Parts: sequence; structure tokens; C-alpha cells
Amino acid sequence: MRKVKEKGSKGISYFVDKYRIFILFAILLIISIAFAPNFFNAFNLTSIMKGASLYIFLAIGMTIVMICGQLDLSVQSVMNLGAVLVIGLRTWSGFGWIWSILIAIAAGAAMGLINGLIVTKGKIHSFITTLGTMTITSGLVFLYTHGGSISTEGDFALGDLMDQTLIPLFTLRVIITVVAVLVFSLILNRTRFGRAFYMVGGNKDTAWLAGINTNRKITTAFIISGSMAALGGALFAISQNSAVPNMGTKGISPLMVAIAATIIGGTSMAGGKGGVFKSFVAVLTIMIIFNALTCFGTGYEVQVFANGLVLAAVVLYEALAIYRADKIKGIRTELLKEVQNK
Amino acid sequence: MNKKIEKQGSVSQNIAHEKQSGKILDITSRFGVYGILIVLIIAGIFINSNFFSLNNFKNVIQAGAFLGILCAGMAFITYSGHFADMSAPITMALSGIVTISCISFGIVPALLIGIGAGVLVGVINGIVIGKFKANPIIWTLAMNFVVSGIIRWVYSNKQIYPDVESGGSIAGEMFTNISRTYLWGIPISVFIMIGLLLIGQFVLSKTRYGKQLKIIGSNIDTAKLTGINVSRNILIAYIIASFAAALAGIFVTSFGKVGAYYNGEGYDFRAVTAIVIGGMTLSGGRGNMIGVLGGVLTIGILSNLMTFIGIGTFEQQIVTGAIFILIVWINSNSLRKLGRDDA
Amino acid sequence: MKKIMFIVIALVMITAVVLTGCNTTTPAVEADAPADDAGDAADDATADDATAEEAEMSNLDKSLALNIDSVVGSDGQPLLLDLEKKDVPERPADPDALPEEDPLHWYDMEYAGWGAMDKENIPASPADGSIGKKVIVIINGDHPYLTAYSNGATIAAEAYGMDIQIMSPNWDLNVQNQQVDQAINAKPDMIILIPLDAKAAVTQFRRINDAGVPCIASNMLPEAEAMKYVIGWAGPDDWGQFRMLADVLAEEIGGKGGVAYVQHAPGGSPYFARCWGPLSQFAANYPDIVTLDKQAPGFEADKTKQLVSDWITKFGDELTAIVAADDSAQAIGIIEALKEAGREDVKVIAAGNSKIGMDYIASGELLAISYQSAEADGATPIKMAADWFNGLDVDPVYYLPKHVITQADVADFLPAQW
Repeated sequence: MRKVKEKGSKGISYFVDKYRIFILFAILLIISIAFAPNFFNAFNLTSIMKGASLYIFLAIGMTIVMICGQLDLSVQSVMNLGAVLVIGLRTWSGFGWIWSILIAIAAGAAMGLINGLIVTKGKIHSFITTLGTMTITSGLVFLYTHGGSISTEGDFALGDLMDQTLIPLFTLRVIITVVAVLVFSLILNRTRFGRAFYMVGGNKDTAWLAGINTNRKITTAFIISGSMAALGGALFAISQNSAVPNMGTKGISPLMVAIAATIIGGTSMAGGKGGVFKSFVAVLTIMIIFNALTCFGTGYEVQVFANGLVLAAVVLYEALAIYRADKIKGIRTELLKEVQNK
Repeated sequence: MNKKIEKQGSVSQNIAHEKQSGKILDITSRFGVYGILIVLIIAGIFINSNFFSLNNFKNVIQAGAFLGILCAGMAFITYSGHFADMSAPITMALSGIVTISCISFGIVPALLIGIGAGVLVGVINGIVIGKFKANPIIWTLAMNFVVSGIIRWVYSNKQIYPDVESGGSIAGEMFTNISRTYLWGIPISVFIMIGLLLIGQFVLSKTRYGKQLKIIGSNIDTAKLTGINVSRNILIAYIIASFAAALAGIFVTSFGKVGAYYNGEGYDFRAVTAIVIGGMTLSGGRGNMIGVLGGVLTIGILSNLMTFIGIGTFEQQIVTGAIFILIVWINSNSLRKLGRDDA
Repeated sequence: MKKIMFIVIALVMITAVVLTGCNTTTPAVEADAPADDAGDAADDATADDATAEEAEMSNLDKSLALNIDSVVGSDGQPLLLDLEKKDVPERPADPDALPEEDPLHWYDMEYAGWGAMDKENIPASPADGSIGKKVIVIINGDHPYLTAYSNGATIAAEAYGMDIQIMSPNWDLNVQNQQVDQAINAKPDMIILIPLDAKAAVTQFRRINDAGVPCIASNMLPEAEAMKYVIGWAGPDDWGQFRMLADVLAEEIGGKGGVAYVQHAPGGSPYFARCWGPLSQFAANYPDIVTLDKQAPGFEADKTKQLVSDWITKFGDELTAIVAADDSAQAIGIIEALKEAGREDVKVIAAGNSKIGMDYIASGELLAISYQSAEADGATPIKMAADWFNGLDVDPVYYLPKHVITQADVADFLPAQW
């Protein structure tokens, strides 16, 4: 009897632990729907999805890099690089849209490759490497745009298409985002190629012994991160019909949102754990917090406070779980009970 | 991985060779940043005749003073293997703004309350990270958000001024003069920076606490097994770091004559840069405060030099980032060749 | 378990779609809807015994009768000032082809909004008075200046009897886009937007315009293209202010010497206006003034101090003046560096009106700053909105009055707003 009960309680906490981001998402969504004025209508929900889609692209890369046990601080600069390149190539160099987007993605991938090579061949901690490349990339972006922004100069065609609601709640840009999330989710969960990322992050040595080229895997993760960040920036710029070189240099930056969402989604910075889909839901959760608080008419200070509180609660929850597990590790409850009974 | 083993093997085969080059590598890994510094200074002499002057060096060391004070504390966190304190900017802002709003109690109580407020952030960080092992970067980042929200809410997004808050009394002026007090023509912040770094160097290398911290930084599990009180030591490291951040915050606030939530923005990454350039590895347990001073000076000289050459703001960013990675590579490469680090 | 969760989320999503699916089109605000609402809201009492038309008339009369001259900001200056007009020269054929030192190179930035550009799809003024109208102001971020700005906007809105809500995206373009959507969704009578970026503003205003909500651009000057979609722009004449400041400085240094520029953070119009404005003014009128260097150290006092110390060492006596984009943190850095080097002879001008800047003017350490009342900056677009609601003629551009504050008249502008 007792045994069953124990298992049950373990089951619930296990369930909560594993799906906490979905529970958090559902709770916040329900609260917002119930209380926030002007929140629950198609127009606003679409706007949340549109707002989230930029961060989601950063979070995809951040998740994969973190699963490998690394960190990528350069995603925000690479996002800006993708944005200014796609508009700059189109407006200043007269490329077609397709070529502009492809070159922007390639540039992001190149930055990722550089990150990956410095981390794996130069053996420098990814925090430092990407901090350096973040500075370099942001310098390059400013240099390319001369410190100003670039626009498509009245060419709204593709931008309007991106922002068109094709199926209810989903604009084209959001659809592309969701497809990207599903693709990477499937790759990570269902393919050998994807599972290997978890092995690299979980235990590098074991992964090596299992025949995985760990260095190549880490470099691949950075390339994915770079190209996704550039694609996200490019799509945002297209739907905005202009590109800004300095997004995120002030205030809460997309970088911080991406890191926070990845962690809230349950990806561990130590590596080997997490998933793209959970990060996606986490970004939506953060967006709902921001949006609902704006609906309530609260100031920015409440938004930043709430964002920090959610992040802190998640980190603390995770830490406490490990702390408790650590504490009872190796304790054999049956033996203790036998001693108590006597 | 195989390569690494090979490399280590070949190194042990050539012991005689290793001894000689080992010494050089050892010095490079410890004080490599000073080599870069000398190269930069020599380059500077050729670039501009005004560069090599007492005045110019005074400017450089002065410009780095606030950053150096912050680094003297944050280095303890890096040394203990906990990367960096991302809540440093808000700790700085908090201590400054609290000091100013308490300035009517007199300058000394106000400073004590202000530093106390900053240290409080460190205590919370230290308990959560030390005892419950929360991820240090993410937890301090979350703290940064939370405290930032509180400050904005309490002061309703406004900035406050020492002279207004003190009602024109002498305390307000004394507060703004903290960063404008000179000793032999050098601001006292420079002396405080050097003092803190020297004390830090002493604590890290000569005391029991420093040695325990080194073990914690190298391997936290081993440290636990040897009976070190890990969570208390980490708590102390965070308290030291927040104290230094609070002190730096008071200097920044006093210099800017205004208390606001944005004081200290950007100092987190700058401090990490200086500490890491100075030879402390992010994996912990390695590095020294003399190197950190070198890191602070290198950042100063580099920006000084680039202004002399007349490089634009954007190009400066690119050069800074590249040199940052280069210096860290030199450090870690020499450590690896010594077989001392596998990261 | 996992499947159950997916199903739950899917259900929530589907419910969302179903419940709101019937309303998927953008909630266009019909041109006449706000007029009725406002009229009803303001004149519930009189609506019973008067016809709707008369009620609206009386709301307009009441609105026009409001006395706004007595409204003052926290510095005691009148908030809703008489606004200035600007002489607009002929647009050169290709401004980009001119050298950067030529003032007309910057024509499209400086005179954005004045050109004879056709307005597109601007709703007609309801001409039924400002009282009871709902206005949403989206600012660009958190800064003490913008706190004062919001304050001024609120005071002015109260004076005109309008209902005001303020949103802040904290410098994030992606968040601002969302707030634009949220503002449209709230169906206000007017949206006032401080764009984060001049070019990105085009799409934002176009979106508001598409939704049929009248809108006004404020503070940050958007690109000329964006002016098609707005009733007008209200804000400080950054270029004009800096040309005036430049003239004051040039006179002070006798029309010759070396000038270094501490720039605004890159990305916005002040980055250009506060450097190329004075620079091109010097180039056009004072050929003996040379440019030594221009750098953007950000808004940190200690970073600026190091930069200026470097300049003093590098240029020595060649350095006669410094132009700064900010009169608080940057000014502190500059003045401390000058003091330390004993170079009080170097003249400094800055953009400003902050407390720190005015203190420096009073003590003579700064030569001149621009007058830019943050509260008036917030009140001016509200005035423009009220004029429009009242059916008055609205110019496409409302400038704040230009003035250079020097030691002689700084006392008139105290206490500072931020």
C-alpha cells in the first residue's frame, strides 16, 4: 500500500519536473485570458507569435549549443548581421531576395564556424570565444551600415507577405518559425545525428569512445546557432522592411531573452539535457508575460521584475531538486526503517 | 582526445626540453598579459610621441580604476569556478542609489547602508549558489532582472541627485567628492584598486581560505570530500564580490553625480574580459590578482592606443574582440602545453 | 504523459482559434466610430435632451474653450509653447552625392516631413473636440528624460481632457512592434509613437495607418517615407539646435581651432544630427575650424573621460573645443578630464537640459547647451493631437522652440526636469 503511494507521489513530482514548462505556459495563459484586458483575441495572439518568432530563432541555436555544454553569446550580433545583410544586399547591392537571404544565412553560418573552430581547435571556453566574436560581429555590422539603419526604400511586397495571416493566428513568418522548431525538434529527438549532441554534452569522453567526433559535433552546433540567428534576424528585417544595426544594445536584449527562455525551458547549461520544442514554449511563455502585463497597463519595471522572478524560480526549483536528490543519495530507506522499527 | 594524450606523451619524453620551455610557458601563463602590454606600449611609442608620458599612463590607470575595484572582487568568483557575477551592474546601481537616498543621515551612515544593500545581493547569491548549487550565471542574471525591477519601481524610473537629496548640506558634496579626491595628483580610487588587488592576491595565495577556494575552483566534488565547507566558502566569495561591486558602484555614482538604475550597465562583461585577459581561467582555480591588474591595464592601453592611431569606434570593437581572443589563446595554450589544464 | 500534455496544449490552441477565429481580420477602427464613442462618453448628461449633433458641437466648444496657456511644467516654463516654423530650403537633386561636410547632404534627415509628400489614407479629423478621447503613447525606452516626457504628456492630456496610456518597450524594436499591435488592438482615438529607429518606423506607421488609427510621430525623427502615414511629427529640432550651438561656439573661439566630437550612441538620428549638424555648419561658415576626431564612447562618464584625456594628450593645444551629444554623463567625463589636465580653456557645448548640464552651465564649465524641455517634448504631440481632434489646421511638423542656454539665462530654466 505504502509502496504504491510513494510511487504515486514520485510520479507527480516527476511529471511536474519533466513538463514544468508546459504547466507554466498553461497556467500563465489561463491567467492572462481570464484577467488581462484585450488579451484574448486573434489579433493579439498573432502579435505574440510574431514577437516570439525572432527570439525563437535565437533560442533554437542556443538550445543546441547548450545541449553540447557550450554557450553562444554572439547570437544577438549575428542576428543583427543577418538583418543588415539581407536588407543591405537587396537595397545597396541589388541582389534578389533569395540570394540575399542565402548569403545572410551563410554569413551567420560562417560566424558559427569561426566560433566552433576557436572553441574546439583553439580550446578556449565558449563563453570567452563568443564574447569576443560578439564584439567583433557588432563592430562589423556597424561598419557595414555606417552606424545607421537600412530600409528597403518602399519595397513592401515581401514584408507584407511575411506578415500576412495565412491560417488563423499564423503569419508566414510564424509558420516558418514553427517549421524550423519542428524540424530541429525531430532531428534532435529522432535521428542519430541529433542524439549525438546530447551525448557530447552529457559526457564528452563517453561520446568520443562511442565514436562521435565531438569537435565536429560542437562546431556543427555553433554553425546551426549562427545560421539560425542570422535567419531569424533576416526574417525579422524583411517583415520590418528595414534593418537596425544595434538591436539589443540597450535594455533587455534578445540575447538575454534567448538564454532565459532556454533555461526556463529546461535545458541545462551543463549540457546533455533539454529540447528545442520546450525552448519554443518557454519563449511563448515569456512573451505572454510581457504582453499580458502591457495589457494591464503596467510599466516596464514590473515586466522586468516578473521576467526575473520566473527565471529565478525555475533556477531555484531545479537547484533545490538536485539538492534534495543529493541529500538522500545513497540512503537506503528500508534499512533506516528497519532500524527505527527495532 | 587522442591527440591530447599524444601531446602529453611527447612532452614527457623530452623532459630536458620541457624544463627550459616549461619555465617560459609558466611565466607566459601567469603573466602573459604583461608581455602583450609591453608590445602595446612599444607600438605606442612609435605611433605618437605623446604616448610615452607619465601623464598618459596616469590617465590609463585612472580610467581603469573603477573596473579594477570591481574585478578585485569578481575575480574571487571566477577563481572559485563560478564564472562571473552577472548581477554586478545592478549591485553597483543599488549601492549608489541607496547611498544617495540615505545621504541625509550623514555621509558615513549612508555609505554603510549603501554598501550593506549591495552586500545583501551578494549574500542572497552566495546562499543560493553556494548551498543549493544553482547555476551561477543564470541565477545572477535573474537577480539582475529582479533587483532592477525593484529599483525602477521604488524610484519610479527617476534618477536622484546627491545635492538635492542631502538638501544642499555638506554630505552631498562630500559624496560627489569621493571620486574627486586626489592623493599626490592621483585619485584615491586608484589606490583603493591597487590596495584591494594586493589584499586579494594575499588572500588567494597565502591564506587557508585562498587555498580552499583553489581546491573548490579546481574540483568542487574533491573539495567536498576533503572536508572543506564548500557552501560557506562560496558564500564568502560572493560577499567579497558584492562588496567590491558596491564599492565600485559608489565610485561610479559619485563620479556621475547621479543615482540611477542604469549605473554600472556593461560592467559585467567588461569585468569578465579584464579578469580572463589577466590569466584567470573560467574553469576556476587558476590565475592571480597581479594578472587581473594587467588585464585592466591592457584594456585601458588598447583603447588609449586606438584613439591615438585614430581608429573609428566600430573598428575599435573589432580589434578589441580579436585581441581578447588572442590573449586568452596565448594563456590557455601555454597552460595546456604545460599539461596543467585540459580545457 | 507527454502525449496528454500535447493534447492539452493543442486543445488550448484550438479553443483560442475557434473562439477568436471569427474575428481574425485586423480590428480596423472605422473612421466614424471613435467620434461617436467620444461624444457619448463625454456628454452622457446632455445627450438626453439634445440631438447627437448638438452634443458633439458642445464637446468641441468645450474643448476649444479649454485654457491651456496656464499649464506649466515642473520647471515653471509653459508646457504648451508657441511652436516655431523653419525655413525649408530646396531639396538638392541627390543629397547623397554631396560630400558629408555639406549641410544639404543631410537634407532628407533634417527636413524629413516638410517635403510636399502626399499623405496616404489619413483619416479625416472628427472635429468634435479633444475631451474624452483615448490616446496611447508608445515611447522608445526607459530613461529619466522619457520619464519626464511621459510626465509632460500626462499633464497635457489632462489639460485637454484626454485619456492617456503610456507603453514602454525598453529599447527593444521587437517589443515595440508588439506594442504597436497591442495599441491598435485597444482601438484608441490616436496613437503617438516615438520610433526606435528612423527607417523601421516606416513599417510601424504604415501598420497603424492600415488599421485606420490616426497617429503622430514624436521625438525621434522618422524617415521622410514614414511621414506619408502620420498626421505629423512633433519634437525637438535637433539639427537646428546644433547649428545654433555651433554658431555660439564658433563665435566664442573666434572662428578657428580644432573641434572633437563625442557622439551619441549609433543607430538613431541624434547620432548624425549631433555630430554632422555642427560639423557641416562649421564647414559651411567657418572654414578655419577643423575636425580632429569623432568617437562614440557611449553614455558612461569614465569611458568619456578616458577618451577626452587621450585627446588632450594626442592633440595638445590643437584641441580648442568639444561638441558632446549629452550634457550629463558625457559632459561629466569631458569636464573632469579637462580639469585634471588643467585645460579649462577648451570650450564645450552639449545637447541637454539635464540638471547636471545646467549646473555646469551655471558654474561656467560648459559654454552652452540646447534648450530641450522633456516635458514640453511630451506635451507637444498631445497638443498636435488636440488640435487635430478640434478640427484646427495642423502643420506636418511641430518643432519645440529652439534656444541656447548659456550662463546668462540659465537661472530661468531651473529647477531642471530630470
